[in-house]
Amino acid sequence: MTPVPVTSYATINACGLGNFAFYQALLKQQTGLGELGLLDIPFKTKVAEIRQPLPVIRPELTVYDSRNSRVALAALNHAEDGLREAVKSARSRYGAARVGVVIGTSTSGLYETEAAYAKMLNTGVMPEDFYFLSRHAYQATPRFLQHELALRGPCFAISTACSSSTKAIAAGQRLINNDICDAVLVGGVDTLCLLTLRGFNSLELVAEDFCRPMDRHRKGINIGEGAALLLLEKPNKALQQYPHVLSVGESTDAYHMSTPHPEGQGASLAMQQALQQAGLQSQAIDYLNLHATATLINDHVEAKAVEYVFKNTLPCSATKGITGHTLGAAGAIEAIVALLALKHGFIPGTWGLQQTDADCHCRVDQQTLPGQNLHIVMSNSFGFGGNNASLILSSDYA
Amino acid sequence: MHDALFVAAAALCSPEPDRVEAFGLKCYAVDKLLLPTVLRRRTSLTTRMAVTAAVHACRLAEVDPSRLPSVFASVGGEIQITDALCRTLPDIEALVSPTQFHNSVHNTTAGYWSIINQCQFATSAIAAVDDTLAMGLLEAWSQLQQTQGDMLLVCYDENWPQYLAPPMGQTAMACALVLSTQGGREQHKIALPRTSRRNLTIKQELLQFMQATPAAAVIPLLQALQSQSDKLIPLNYSGLRWYTQLV
Repeated sequence: MTPVPVTSYATINACGLGNFAFYQALLKQQTGLGELGLLDIPFKTKVAEIRQPLPVIRPELTVYDSRNSRVALAALNHAEDGLREAVKSARSRYGAARVGVVIGTSTSGLYETEAAYAKMLNTGVMPEDFYFLSRHAYQATPRFLQHELALRGPCFAISTACSSSTKAIAAGQRLINNDICDAVLVGGVDTLCLLTLRGFNSLELVAEDFCRPMDRHRKGINIGEGAALLLLEKPNKALQQYPHVLSVGESTDAYHMSTPHPEGQGASLAMQQALQQAGLQSQAIDYLNLHATATLINDHVEAKAVEYVFKNTLPCSATKGITGHTLGAAGAIEAIVALLALKHGFIPGTWGLQQTDADCHCRVDQQTLPGQNLHIVMSNSFGFGGNNASLILSSDYA
Repeated sequence: MHDALFVAAAALCSPEPDRVEAFGLKCYAVDKLLLPTVLRRRTSLTTRMAVTAAVHACRLAEVDPSRLPSVFASVGGEIQITDALCRTLPDIEALVSPTQFHNSVHNTTAGYWSIINQCQFATSAIAAVDDTLAMGLLEAWSQLQQTQGDMLLVCYDENWPQYLAPPMGQTAMACALVLSTQGGREQHKIALPRTSRRNLTIKQELLQFMQATPAAAVIPLLQALQSQSDKLIPLNYSGLRWYTQLV
């Protein structure tokens, strides 16, 4: 794979709007977790809910109006991060047909769909403003972004549960490497809905209280929501100082739909493949953002895999205590964690971790470490279906 | 870099094979015996149909499925399971089935396919409304430039509840293609999908079927492979935008 520069990026999540708010939350370890306000559920948990007002979708695109689209639009419009301007510039430099959109999501507009079903079960008919393909369906959000930005390149959704948006980054890199696109807007968007909250609860994977990644007393996940969008462009000497996507390793456990391979085989394969594609030895990685959802088995298996690939000296941390587990958006949000770590030279702490599980032999940093000289970092994403992806980013590429 | 791909094999599957065979193509019935006993009860019609097509395509291409990376492309994915869950959710006391929940993800079929074949290569699950086939081909094509060799692309959609997006989802259908960077005997080469502003015509009967059956977008391609037609091949029912061609 040829490395591709990330020329702009932006996020919104429960920590707030924009990269700076997110950086501050990671640096100062301020969690976005709190009480659920958006929905009623029959059990106790904490969630990472976006509380600020979201922008309105313009009338011509009203069929795409969903919480997912609004969250994506909020990130796109945040002027300080300049993503909209960067996409506009790419569009004028390369032409609309050469700019693609690939977005990862696990549930897309399901929040609106659930409300529509509740009405239908009462009245016998779907509400008039129910637009399945442009609100509910997986491809709704990438299509919305394509129309919003007047792009005409390839456009699709990747939905492989919690690895979705890391795979979207991989697909974007491939589209550029193979000269199908000159730039691709990639990322992940997912919003809170009843299905994921109650489904994960049925699987007994939801923590009643705050999640505690890699902790000996961890008891499950807290679900979050958010969007993270990154603009990838074709490599160019003038863009060498930008951070680069070096590679994405992708593998499958071939073991179980909702439980990872007990020896972490798939996870190891994804990390090894990412290293191999980037032409790197494991010692080259300066920091690893773990997937670490804080379920008993997932963290245990990931720690095993990390120990296998990296021995146990690599600094690792988990940020789902700050952002919640944003499911299909998690990979892209954590890619932005990695980009912020590279930019500001720090390793974010692991909010929620009190005492590392004695069975987790990798080095998990509990406190934020400022003043780090980071050049190459990795981020892991693992999902249902045994679907694994590991991303490697560098601070620049000469 | 290759600007064309070999189609090593193609296989269709539908619970209503006659409806697909009306367009002059062989179509297999859904065969749940192709799944291990333990998975027969757990999987939906969607997954069984997609797996049936994929097994037949791999057999025709004489490739070992455990060695193939795969892309699963579907508009609605496990829509019947999602529909059943959405009907349950308004009742705040109702139990959400844990199995139904993890079987509702878009990569359910991809996950079961990897388990059945003990395949640890990358699997993906994508969606792109009427461009689902075209985007599946592009994603498979760009993965193949990296991995070389063979890969599996399965386009599938089951029956949808008719209140979702009528007429879409009337006939369940799956198509599996084994794509390759290397040619073999009796193999056909197709060009990288491209966009066009030209309006490619599709006969009325087929057009109606394609509008109601997302995976039927593949029919013009399979018909062209059968007849060795060198015309532009539309990759979606609108007949606009994405197309390919035999080379």
